Amino acid sequence: MKILVCIKRVVDYNVRIRVKPDGGGVVTDGVKMSMNPFDEIAVEEALRIKEAGNADEIIVVSIGAKQVQEQLRTALAMGADRGIHVETTENIQPLTASRMLLNIAQSEGVDLVLLGKQAIDDDNNQTGQMLAALWDRPQATFASGLSFDGGKATTIREVDAGLEVLEVDLPAVVTVDLRLNEPRYVKLPDMMKAKKKTIDVKTLADLGVEAAPGVSSLGVRPPEGRQAGKKVETVEELVKELQARGLVND
Amino acid sequence: MDFQLSFEQQMILDYGQNLAQSFGSDYWREQSDAQAFPVELWQQIAADGFLGVMVSEEYGGAGLGMTEITLLMEGMSGAGLPLFMMVVGPTMVLSLLDHYGSDSLKQRYLPAGCSGEKVFCFAITEPNAGSNSMAITTLARADGSGFKLSGQKSYITGADAADYALVVARTTPLKDAARKTDGFTLFMVDLKAPGVTIQPMEIPVMIPEKQCEIFFDDVELGPDEVVGEVDRGFGILFDVLNPERIVVAAMAVGLGRYALKKGVEYAGDRKVFGAPIGSHQGLAHPLAHAHTEIEMAALMTYKAAVNFDQGAPAGAEANMAKYFAAEAAIKAVDCSLQVNGGAGFTREVGLLDLYGLVRLLRTIPVSRELLLNYIGEKVMGLPRSY
Ligand SMILES: Cc1cc2nc3c(=O)[nH]c(=O)nc-3n(C[C@H](O)[C@H](O)[C@H](O)COP(=O)(O)OP(=O)(O)OC[C@H]3O[C@@H](n4cnc5c(N)ncnc54)[C@H](O)[C@@H]3O)c2cc1C
Repeated sequence: MKILVCIKRVVDYNVRIRVKPDGGGVVTDGVKMSMNPFDEIAVEEALRIKEAGNADEIIVVSIGAKQVQEQLRTALAMGADRGIHVETTENIQPLTASRMLLNIAQSEGVDLVLLGKQAIDDDNNQTGQMLAALWDRPQATFASGLSFDGGKATTIREVDAGLEVLEVDLPAVVTVDLRLNEPRYVKLPDMMKAKKKTIDVKTLADLGVEAAPGVSSLGVRPPEGRQAGKKVETVEELVKELQARGLVND
Repeated sequence: MDFQLSFEQQMILDYGQNLAQSFGSDYWREQSDAQAFPVELWQQIAADGFLGVMVSEEYGGAGLGMTEITLLMEGMSGAGLPLFMMVVGPTMVLSLLDHYGSDSLKQRYLPAGCSGEKVFCFAITEPNAGSNSMAITTLARADGSGFKLSGQKSYITGADAADYALVVARTTPLKDAARKTDGFTLFMVDLKAPGVTIQPMEIPVMIPEKQCEIFFDDVELGPDEVVGEVDRGFGILFDVLNPERIVVAAMAVGLGRYALKKGVEYAGDRKVFGAPIGSHQGLAHPLAHAHTEIEMAALMTYKAAVNFDQGAPAGAEANMAKYFAAEAAIKAVDCSLQVNGGAGFTREVGLLDLYGLVRLLRTIPVSRELLLNYIGEKVMGLPRSY
């Protein structure tokens, strides 16, 4: 089995996000950037699948400026076999990204595409689903368990009612949730080996896709500061207080 | 000149930070309160291949150098895990063995040191010889083909948890030595051997290692436990003492960053009299000052590490880095403590604990005064004071 894992470079989850003064986005200059944490879980899962003997190659792909190669190298240091960098400085939205991933999934002939359930920058939670639709293949989103049997994958999803078990035919798209696994530390020898692994660079034109953003952002504002709280003594008082503020129905 | 970290260097720095974050400050506090060697942490570092950073690949290491261990220690300390055992073992003992040990010494100790199976400490200080190492009196007398070791070492970090100590001893007493730097020999000593007694000292700083006294009473040493040459140990001593200063500087830089992060976050959040306290220059300027000094300390630390790796003289840089980084870290912790008000003194925020720790770094492994003596005399050519 051949696995494609899609990873995105995002502001590190430890960084306190600051909005640009002109409202045109968040500050990324001089800010620590990392692999989207859900994507790291996807890479880890791919490694475990390979280690269990169910896959023979793991390809990692990332879309963006030159710097995304840092995140690709991190995935290679974790143990992925090779990387593909789609180089662009354009604003790439989920639909465009999924078109590119479709091209790569098809030309590489992969059996499984693993993605994070969403990226912590825009929180869109769309790319995996769009890719499955364009590819016309099954999807299982928010996986917190994943196993294989023959040409099928079984996933466990944490839904409001409990655990939902889905079986999908391969090739398929699986997006992963937080509790699927805990990504490994990169070992020192593997860091050294990562340098020698290849990263192929492709352009949008190579993939026959145009950036064409369909959604335009009007502005970005920081959330309002938190107001001081109020302590209430009883549940009745709490309900009254919430009703007075129009937060619950009478 | 190039001030960019390579991909591997960045990964090593990140590794240190991630490791520290995932073990967390509660883990560190619990181990330190209990003065319990952090076994799980040590095993994780071993499993990830970092104990042997400076050891050649043929003996189970990664074959890297000072620059890499410096970044590792900066990363770990920068997220609250200043592990001194990484200084004495991997930075000092293992790298010295790798450089100067006989093949048999290397075979015996290095693979076990890299895998974490055996733990190493470093012993030079004695009750009457700290800053003045010339005055050590621990003596290894020739005995048959080997030696018998007698004497006392003090303040030895992690001796209770270690399997072996690299001991700096005299094979010729000071009074019989032609020059005061003659007559030193470095030995690998099995701390479980007959005649060795270890007694923990009470030193209340927030680190999980105990500091110990070690007593040697006619401990038998085979001839092949000598690292380097008999009576000529002083010549290689600075190949452990400079690395020690460089990584300790890196730890101070990391701790300074860790403290400043706590300061900056609080300064942005905490509102007193209606405004975030960080908007007052009375608090913002000390933070900015401390940040600048920490960054400058980092640069000198990197320069010292890179010089050492390139085989260029690194003594002046190592001393300046250690001196300045410790001072910068003390200021960084002090001003974060002030910014945090009463909260800074809670155990949860932990800045008071950090204060004790960075203050320690002004004194050890070599004190501020001795470093300034070196810089004044050896670097600037000022007249000797002693
Ligand atoms: C927590 C801790 C861990 C340690 N771990 C280890 C270890 O693992 N291995 C090890 O071998 N040692 C270790 N040490 C010992 C440490 O290296 C010594 O404490 C240090 O070198 C200072 O020596 P001293 O305590 O004998 O002070 P002294 O040498 O007695 O100095 C006392 C004071 O006098 C000042 N002074 C001395 N001479 C001069 C001068 N010429 N000019 C101006 N001022 C001077 C010094 O700067 C210092 O302030 C540790 C110590 C501590 C506290």
